[in-house]
Amino acid sequence: MDLVVNAVSHEVDSAPLTSLLEVLREELDITGPKAGCETGGCGACTVLIDGEPRRSCLTALCMAEGREVTTVEGLGTPEALSAVQQAFIHHYAAQCGFCTSGMIVASSAYVDRGGSPDTGAIQEALGGHYCRCTGYVKILDAVAAVARGDDADTMSTAASPTSSYVSIGGTGNGGGGAA
Amino acid sequence: MKVVGARLPRYDGVGHVTGRTTYVDDVRLPGMLHAAALRSPHHNARIIDVDTGPAEAMAGVRAVITHADVPTLVYGHLSGAGIDGDEPLLAKDFVRYKGQPIALVAADSVQIARAACDAIVVDYEELPTLLDVRLAFEDGAPVVNDRFGNWYKEFEGGLEARQIRKGDIDRAFDDADLIVEGVYRTQAVEQAPLETQVCVAVPEPDGRLTIHTCTQALYFSLGVVCAHLELPMSKVKMVGGTVGGGFGGKVDTASDTLAALAARKSGLPVKWRWTREEEMLASSTRGPWHMEIIDAVTSDGWILGRKMLTLHDAGAYGRFSVYGLTKHSFHHTGAYTIPNLHFDGYVVFTNRIPTSAMRGYGVTGLSTAIEVHTERVANELGMDPYEFRLKNANRVNDTSPNRIAYEDPSTVEVLQSIAAATGTELDGSLRAMTRGERTDDLLPDHLVGQIAQGGHG
Ligand code: FES
Ligand code: FES
Repeated sequence: MDLVVNAVSHEVDSAPLTSLLEVLREELDITGPKAGCETGGCGACTVLIDGEPRRSCLTALCMAEGREVTTVEGLGTPEALSAVQQAFIHHYAAQCGFCTSGMIVASSAYVDRGGSPDTGAIQEALGGHYCRCTGYVKILDAVAAVARGDDADTMSTAASPTSSYVSIGGTGNGGGGAA
Repeated sequence: MKVVGARLPRYDGVGHVTGRTTYVDDVRLPGMLHAAALRSPHHNARIIDVDTGPAEAMAGVRAVITHADVPTLVYGHLSGAGIDGDEPLLAKDFVRYKGQPIALVAADSVQIARAACDAIVVDYEELPTLLDVRLAFEDGAPVVNDRFGNWYKEFEGGLEARQIRKGDIDRAFDDADLIVEGVYRTQAVEQAPLETQVCVAVPEPDGRLTIHTCTQALYFSLGVVCAHLELPMSKVKMVGGTVGGGFGGKVDTASDTLAALAARKSGLPVKWRWTREEEMLASSTRGPWHMEIIDAVTSDGWILGRKMLTLHDAGAYGRFSVYGLTKHSFHHTGAYTIPNLHFDGYVVFTNRIPTSAMRGYGVTGLSTAIEVHTERVANELGMDPYEFRLKNANRVNDTSPNRIAYEDPSTVEVLQSIAAATGTELDGSLRAMTRGERTDDLLPDHLVGQIAQGGHG
């Protein structure tokens, strides 16, 4: 069977009902998509199929045949980072990084569709993605920044989160000094 | 200064956002096998017989590991601190919690390894289970832990509980205007990192082992692996540091030792990645805690004394629980200064998954209990909870339950910040409070004796 991943065509041997995640990771050694749950629950395995975010753990290989599969590796390289990748660095939106591949893939689809910087809309788009580390605020900030068209400086980290998702007012990043 | 106060980019940021960071599951080596575990379906059972023959006979199976393959079967997470081990690396005569590993299979694919686990025949005799710490002390309760019984009994001085005695607790209760009791129970919590437990163990041609590990505690895990395998540390190289989330759940050495044994037995690299279901059902959790608090307080808002009983549900084996309970005991007054204390804490065993660290080991559930209790005391006194908290809040040179002087406690400022952030107007006298050493009205007679003398303790 032929599988096109990141604009490269591969001849693959896996059985047609093998999960796309397993084919990518175990047969093709494309390890950007992560196996967080393999049951559709976490979003870490998300790839684009013809530009739409899809859980590769729930997608059978045969469903991807003849279509364009894009993983995080196909969205940018260390030398040529995409705007979303730059924003994730600048806003410290990746901590352990294990959810990040899926987050970046889904966020890229969102901004490519012309998604708005509105927090609620971004939450909706990333709703099925778990992140156990960041508390989500910085991820929302990063995606909103790209949606607004902000420049991201990857050689520094942004100041405290500004997202309206932070509902307890006042000090922003929880800095604890006396009032 | 170029670094302090600067907003530096993180050094692994580019790897994370491009999918190039190599996590343990991304390591792949020629000939690498995949492992799966056979785990107990019962909370408590005697193992009458294990027949691995059908698994060993399957095509593609390269190694089956049982307790008989482990050079040192029982080694405790705190053995290095003089606390005896109680947990076999693989179950031998009993399984004491659902999910306890009995065998590990390494095979050409994970599918074969799982099928081989299903083919192993285990004959169990199910036993009654103990799942509630409060029943552990009853006559006739099922016995959970083969080394310690139903609670750990070997604290220093032969004590069966971690005890704290400070000041004169009887006098505190005699002098009290009001006594407030409360019982607080928190539940187990799975750390749930996105990356499940995973390990790649590689036998090297010179007889050494390389272990790609997701541990949060690399040198600790090195010691545990070497103890079970009876190897000097010079024979094992751990490669770690890239962890897909841990939150305390990767402090226990959960997968490295067994993968190492399978690698040695098969002579090939072995990867063992737990499924999400295994992570949720069989990896260590934050422990449940049962906490009973009785405070002796005065009508003008001082806490004179506290009696406390804690039952820490350790699960089936001790792991780090003695440490967790000890830390809990040192913190059992929370952010407040109480001069007279009587604390007893037990590490109790139940037929549950062994428990371990998670973000404030031994203290997080305790903080919940203390803050709820503190609020209740203030309400019963008819006093503003901020005033009650700020009065009793730790100050410089107040002493902890274990008599450590607080050098720089931040309770006063934290409370003031919370008030500001939630739009609560504090009285001028409360706003003016600082963390500075107690004087005048903030130093009533009963708090004089607990102040650290002659510098920090
Ligand atoms: S691995 Fe596919 S959703 Fe979690
Ligand atoms: S950065 Fe660790 S799970 Fe999101």
